[in-house]
Amino acid sequence: MTIGTPIRSRLDTRSADYRQNLAAMEQLWEAVAEQLSSVPTIGGQRYVDRHRTRGKMLVRERIEALIDPDTPFLELSPLAGWGTQDPVGVGSACGIGVVEGIECAITGSDMTYRGGSANPTSWKKTARFNEIARENRLPVIVLNESAGADLPRQADLFIQGGASFRDLTQLSKLGIPTITMAFGPNTAGGAYTPGMSDYTVFVKGKGTAYLGGPPLVKMAIDEIVDEETLGGAEMHSRTSGLSDYLAVDEMDAIRITRSIVGHLGWRKLGPGATEPDDPPLYDPAELLGCASADVRIPFDIREVLARLLDGSRFEEFKPLYGDKLVCGWGSIHGFPVGILGNNGILFSEEASKAAQFIQLCNKRDIPLAFLHNITGFMVGSKAEQGGIIRNGAKMINAVSNSTVPHFNLMVGASYGAGNYGMAGKAYNPRFIFSWPNHRVAVMGPKQLAGVMEIVARNAAAGRGIDVDEEALAAQTAGLEAQIEHESTALFSTGRLWDDGIIHPADSRTVMGMALSAVHSNAIEGATEYGVWRH
Amino acid sequence: MSPRDHVIERLLIANRGEIAVRVARSAHRLGIGTVGVYSEPDRNALHVDSVDVAVALGGATPGESYLRGDAVIDAALATGADAIHPGYGFLAENAAFARSVTDAGLVWVGPTPDQITLLGDKVAAKRAALAAGVPTTSMIEVVDGRIDGDVVFPALVKAAAGGGGRGMRVVRSADELAEAVAAASREAESAFGDGTVFIEPYLERGRHVEVQIVGDRHGNVVHLGERECSIQRRNQKVVEESPSAGITPETRVALCDGAVALARHVGYEGAGTVEFMVGAAGGTITFLEVNTRLQVEHPVTEAVTGLDLVELQLLVAAGEPLPIAQGDVTIDGHAIEVRVVAEDPAAGWMPSTGTIGRFAIGDVGDGIRIDTGVRDGSVISSDYDSLVAKVIAHAPTRAGAARRLARALRASQITGIRTNVESLVAILGEADYLAADTPTAYLDEHADVLTPPGPSGDDQVALLLGAVFALEQEHRADDHATPFAPSGWRNLRTQGQRQVWIDPGGGQLHVEYEMAAAWWSRGATVQSATVRLGPWPEPDETGALAPDERSVRSVRLLERSSNRQVIEVDGRRQAIDVEVVRHSAGLDDDGVGAVTVNVRSAAGSLTLVRAPRFVLHDAESATGGPISPLPGTVIAVHVEAGEAVVDGQVLMVVEAMKMEHKIVAAGDATVTEVRFAVGDRVDTGDLLVALDHGDGA
Repeated sequence: MTIGTPIRSRLDTRSADYRQNLAAMEQLWEAVAEQLSSVPTIGGQRYVDRHRTRGKMLVRERIEALIDPDTPFLELSPLAGWGTQDPVGVGSACGIGVVEGIECAITGSDMTYRGGSANPTSWKKTARFNEIARENRLPVIVLNESAGADLPRQADLFIQGGASFRDLTQLSKLGIPTITMAFGPNTAGGAYTPGMSDYTVFVKGKGTAYLGGPPLVKMAIDEIVDEETLGGAEMHSRTSGLSDYLAVDEMDAIRITRSIVGHLGWRKLGPGATEPDDPPLYDPAELLGCASADVRIPFDIREVLARLLDGSRFEEFKPLYGDKLVCGWGSIHGFPVGILGNNGILFSEEASKAAQFIQLCNKRDIPLAFLHNITGFMVGSKAEQGGIIRNGAKMINAVSNSTVPHFNLMVGASYGAGNYGMAGKAYNPRFIFSWPNHRVAVMGPKQLAGVMEIVARNAAAGRGIDVDEEALAAQTAGLEAQIEHESTALFSTGRLWDDGIIHPADSRTVMGMALSAVHSNAIEGATEYGVWRH
Repeated sequence: MSPRDHVIERLLIANRGEIAVRVARSAHRLGIGTVGVYSEPDRNALHVDSVDVAVALGGATPGESYLRGDAVIDAALATGADAIHPGYGFLAENAAFARSVTDAGLVWVGPTPDQITLLGDKVAAKRAALAAGVPTTSMIEVVDGRIDGDVVFPALVKAAAGGGGRGMRVVRSADELAEAVAAASREAESAFGDGTVFIEPYLERGRHVEVQIVGDRHGNVVHLGERECSIQRRNQKVVEESPSAGITPETRVALCDGAVALARHVGYEGAGTVEFMVGAAGGTITFLEVNTRLQVEHPVTEAVTGLDLVELQLLVAAGEPLPIAQGDVTIDGHAIEVRVVAEDPAAGWMPSTGTIGRFAIGDVGDGIRIDTGVRDGSVISSDYDSLVAKVIAHAPTRAGAARRLARALRASQITGIRTNVESLVAILGEADYLAADTPTAYLDEHADVLTPPGPSGDDQVALLLGAVFALEQEHRADDHATPFAPSGWRNLRTQGQRQVWIDPGGGQLHVEYEMAAAWWSRGATVQSATVRLGPWPEPDETGALAPDERSVRSVRLLERSSNRQVIEVDGRRQAIDVEVVRHSAGLDDDGVGAVTVNVRSAAGSLTLVRAPRFVLHDAESATGGPISPLPGTVIAVHVEAGEAVVDGQVLMVVEAMKMEHKIVAAGDATVTEVRFAVGDRVDTGDLLVALDHGDGA
């Protein structure tokens, strides 16, 4: 028994158009890959070397040692902080990996960047990480080593930063295990990370935890004390009880942590993969050339599905109605999924079709994947008179109150209310992954600049003054360039609008890991909705 | 005596191992039913499965089982067997047993009890040989410690009874003689209960050559040519062949005619072997003894003559005349047999016991014969001899047989125990061996063949990668959470997948690989990987990584199964048989503990151990010494500062809750401080004795 029938691809991968687009996509990916390669040593070679002279492993080396051999690791938000004051990757690593056969949410701080201290974007990344762990019920492993907050930047992080400790203890309340390994200092706020964890492992002679370090203690109460007495691993293991396990060294801490995970007796609550996991009929590597590098050039979303779904099989729902939104069922690595993929802008028909489809998937407990390539809802008098707001409202109502897991795969543009209707970031999808050609904004840069130009001309006319054409042209061009920059996939991922930019050819693997992760929690559709506007 | 025209219908085989299997095979071919016997450890052995019916003897040691002649005869009578074949060893040359067999009305497959008795006494046998005109040096008998003749040096003092080199001494000068005679006699007395010794000339660089004879009770005797068995260690034959490449045609005629003459002289019935030493210079011949049984090395004779010696034994035992005359015996080509034993030549031939994981001899085709009593899962115990298998190659020429045999051995795989296979391969390719320059001192003169290097270069790389990817495949199969993902997939890669292996010499083999993402697996795509060999860069004292100078190999995995990996390394294809052995359940799955992998290819075999990912530190060594489990009082202190202690040693005794708690060392260590004295109160968690485990922790 399988879902649907194979899609037949019409893509000519030998055509000049395809090759040209592929080359452009490769270039877009290269820019992303270059950023990715800078992340592991973002702290600078000098600090990386110094870290190693202390016999310490880099955070990603620790993760490599922690996860089961030859298993995959999906790093989340690897380029968070891009285009912000904070470093690319924000000095931490977060991801989903397999430990003792159990998918865990794993995070660690990068001691080589400003002593592993927290910055405003790293708090955001941590908050998103905790959200992923909570929503998907993934055991949490923290590889901690942090000097605390980046003090000069306290104004931008002190207040919101407190939430991460609340998150940890709430995870514990939900029965989601939290394990913290202390590889180095856990200072001030950082001390609450082990403090709020179910299990703690301290590395002898390396891991420390205290609310105030020796300098602060001297300032506050004039006590002169050494680090070990104040908050050393042995002290916490023998005296304070903050440390549950004393590890001989880093590898020993990792071994102990694996052993803790081993005793959790963890069971996933979702049904797991239930469909055959056969590869698509068409090479998923061709996904790189499927979507348009230039989001203004339309492409058939079925070409993506033909390379994303198991056996290229797709059962299309209402194929003759509202055909600008392709809806239907298939599976990815055996996990059933309902697909909503854009083949143009949203009209009333598309919106009401989506609302029905989303409700069906909630009745059937089937997760939803939204493949964004949307420039928005249709505008104009015909659309308005046809009830585009009313029908759009149905779609947003359905999306907002849907309780099956949602995924966003950004394969092209995601503009305007189309982003909302397609369960964009503000609608709390479980995971969002973007392709490098992705663009996201309230509308396209040209349209936005054009709208602003019309507004300016109208304002000038209203005041009866002449338009300074040269200045307006420059202003319009500048605005278009600004919006263009702010719409890119890198800009979006830097602000945590997604969970990472992925190579399109990795889409099946990434979606499979994300689907598998959501199956750690129960998959339950909504039973109630808001009032439907008819 | 058995009736002349008796037809054997059911044969009891009073033996175990390869010879029991081999005898059963001939019996079955002749339509004769078989009965086996077995000791308790052998209850599921191959030889038991090779017979029609098997009878339990109980016990484990030979004395408790296969040497119990009465029980063997009872088994024959109970199962309706009408004949007993003793094989070799155990009861084969026990005249009293042979007599009991015939007394019980059963056919004894072997010479008569009188012949066994006569020829089993080396002094009596040599007298008979001299009387029959067998070519041999003289013998000087020792009667009551008196040496009856002029001894020529170097000389050999030998026991009249027994064998296997016990009660034997080489004497090079007259002043050593008396002491050597006394020592040999004592040894023989203690080993065989008979201290009789005699003296004969010792042949320097001599060769061991023996003649196969078969006689019937009608007075017919034929010889089946000679075998050379010079390559021995501690008088145990290792390599045997037929014909001998080290004797002249004249010597051959003298030996064979002599053997037949001796057989005729004693009216020999059945198969037997007349053993000689042939000196290097001038072909001096010394008669050694007659073995009144089938020899271990009989298959080389069968190979070159085309005869079945067991068939001949059964025929003459049943009273039939020999079906062949001397003129019918022709020698075709050359045959070599090696004895694969569960012993480690590199470790002084230390016996190796254990369970065989896999038993396979390579390329068994034309011209290769394997006689064995083991199979996958067989247990090699110290109760029985260490012979695992005999591998026999037959080819038109000696060099051809050696090559054929070496090839079969090189591609063989016997895991779970140590064997001498690599040494056998080394011998078969060694120059002096190929030149037939093989005195009995051969192994002493060629110690290098005992420690041959294993497969090297690209052959070793392929074997290593066979182990690496077998484990990689296992890891992927064990991943039930994300089985669909490409092996070691990363969206942000900082390193490849790493494994460290330990080779048989204790060296470490580092492998780092990156699997190409198998995005497209429906088509003809095969999995491929980039492999880096050698230690990955480690930080120096400045923290900087050493330059990466590893060799990079391009690998494709053409065919994969749980016990076979076909690997193409830089365009060179090799099929690797793989056996993964997990040391102890639960230890290795998380990388703690070791995994042993046995790999073999046509180039040879290798046993590799995967280095553990993690080291198990005892909780106490992590804390620097034992801590008090309860509040209590120290009632004894057994160590002082500076003392070296061993794992498990009692350091202190603490009385708490009216119980005495022994405080022991967790691992070898040095005491750095004894923190409490007798009578001191201690609290829960107090560090009692500070230990330095010397592990840098």
